Amino acid sequence: MAPNQPQQVTLSPAELSFLRSTLVQSPPIRFDHTKGPKDFRSMRAEYDVLPGANGSARIALEDGTEALVGVKAEVEKSQRRPSPDARGNTLSVAAGDAEMRDTDAENHGKGKGQNSWIETSVEIPGFRDDDPLPVFLASMLTESLLASGELKDRLYINSRFHWKLYIDILLLSPPLSYPLALLSMTTHLALLTSRLPALKSEKDEDPLFDDDWDAAVFLYPKNEGKSLFGAAEDKPPVIVLAMAVGPNIIFDPCMEELAVADAVLAVACANATSSSTRARIVSIRTIDPPSHLTPPGVPNSMNSATGGTVPASSADALTQRELLATSGVWTPPRGGMKRALISQVVKIVVEEGGVAEEVISALQAIELG
Amino acid sequence: MAANTDRRRINAPSGGTSAPVFAKTVLESGYLQSLRPNRTRGPNELRKTFLQTGIVPSASGSAYLEVPTASSSQSTLIPPTSSLKIAASIQGPKPLPRSAPFSPTLVLTTTVKFAPFATRHRRGYIRDSAERDLGVHLETALRGVIIGERWPKSGVEVVITILEGDEDAWWGDSGAEGGAGSGFGLLNVLAGCITVASAAIMDAGIDCVDMVAGGVAAVTGDGQKVLDPCPAEHQDLVAACAVGYLASRDEITEIWLKGDVGADPDELIEGATHAALGSVSVLREVLLENMEAKMNITKEGSKRKLEDVEMTG
Repeated sequence: MAPNQPQQVTLSPAELSFLRSTLVQSPPIRFDHTKGPKDFRSMRAEYDVLPGANGSARIALEDGTEALVGVKAEVEKSQRRPSPDARGNTLSVAAGDAEMRDTDAENHGKGKGQNSWIETSVEIPGFRDDDPLPVFLASMLTESLLASGELKDRLYINSRFHWKLYIDILLLSPPLSYPLALLSMTTHLALLTSRLPALKSEKDEDPLFDDDWDAAVFLYPKNEGKSLFGAAEDKPPVIVLAMAVGPNIIFDPCMEELAVADAVLAVACANATSSSTRARIVSIRTIDPPSHLTPPGVPNSMNSATGGTVPASSADALTQRELLATSGVWTPPRGGMKRALISQVVKIVVEEGGVAEEVISALQAIELG
Repeated sequence: MAANTDRRRINAPSGGTSAPVFAKTVLESGYLQSLRPNRTRGPNELRKTFLQTGIVPSASGSAYLEVPTASSSQSTLIPPTSSLKIAASIQGPKPLPRSAPFSPTLVLTTTVKFAPFATRHRRGYIRDSAERDLGVHLETALRGVIIGERWPKSGVEVVITILEGDEDAWWGDSGAEGGAGSGFGLLNVLAGCITVASAAIMDAGIDCVDMVAGGVAAVTGDGQKVLDPCPAEHQDLVAACAVGYLASRDEITEIWLKGDVGADPDELIEGATHAALGSVSVLREVLLENMEAKMNITKEGSKRKLEDVEMTG
């Protein structure tokens, strides 16, 4: 089987070298020179666009990338398991559970949610659904949603039924830049505005729902009225993309910038809770930058057409190549990311008034106004 | 994904089977919990690792890694902890097929496949999303290490078979059945894949900037940091992190962190790099062994040739 060809970078070594030299300056000059290292591309966003879904959102970036997310919930029968916990109240787990149900109706699904109750699918034009990119994006998005465990617990109805949440993510345009951040923000907005029909039945009855859509409850509850122990409201996580070029860190890179990245990091973060004022990290992944696939440049000294001498042997060519590292001729980056750089990225994301807080509050503002 | 089901073989039921419930576990309330394995190693102590290269003669490079179970057999059917057994083989570098477009660098393909019997739930023959995801992670870890520009127009395939994978939770936990597991077992599998693939690449003699080694660290519910966690031994893992670490450059090519770590994941990442240092020392030993074996073969080979000359002369 022939290995499938990864996406090619269409910039020449000279262009790559130029781009990189501007990006490693202090302060960096980005591809769009009006933007600073922490600036995101501008976008148009709307929510509740799909009448047939429990929640939906659409975000279009200025470069024409556009994503549409629909959240659908279905009632599903829970699989009954022959477990010793269910039979007697002798076990401490079961006893504590029964107590919890009596005292606090709000907490009734705590710890009972299962990972399989949330299903995410990502559809990108030009990719099969089992290609690495959609699979990677879907698992990163699911993982960040499941990390806190609060969302899946909210899908618990009673011991026999639960909600199954289908999050269908569509990229409407070809992936002009790495679409992870866009998909994540669209998913965030869709989940934030998703509503589930209000439950009318009690305890272990067959679930019966209020048919009034106005009475439906938000999947991520808004605490306008009473709030549980004064906790900050829970919001879906959001993923930001950061890339490192030399000593600089650049957020929300476009495709041309990614082509010269030393390393790319996707950081999923949730908003601050009552216990901490800073945003929380729920997932971090490195992403293979396309710069590893760029063609290396040929220096004038090794090119007979420009008056240089072609190296006599391949061993000679290798030695000459290795000496080029600092000469400005483009060579694809090697190695990984320094640990100090990773902690710097994380710090910029989670600090008070940092990137995470900014993105989450910006998406919240869309819903309000 | 209905289109993805395997229709050419007679497969076992997809639902799998439930662990049997024994009367004793129901009648005696504390019995099941008394079987729960506990971590007997210190928080900074790693499991023993077995690593060997050159196990597949037809491949250009291969390696086998095994992380055995810590505790011995018990009187129940519930296995105490899971172990990790991974085989890696490398094909190439070889020229790309004529139909493939030009590539200025080495085209790296990573395939990670669980054997059908590798985990508690049977895996099908077709790769599922978790396996593809692992493949992407492994590719990221290796791509930064291999000097790809030295092999234009060629491809290399890294094929990993997981013969036994670390479980996400202890089998005795009822919740462990239906995918309620934390998924932290996959991090151990990834770290193992990185180490074994690195050894296989070394065996194949592909140019690299350094040896990449995998390591895992986790945070438990009470905030304690443990290296190389075995998910069966911990009931309350909050977050875990796997890294692909280049020891001599102090760089990280791959990081996979999941779970709620709060605002400061630095300590967890550092723990994972410490665990990776353990794998590095194993890799170094294996590299040395590998070199010595190769030297002996060449020496013997030349000796034989000399003898041949003597015979004819």
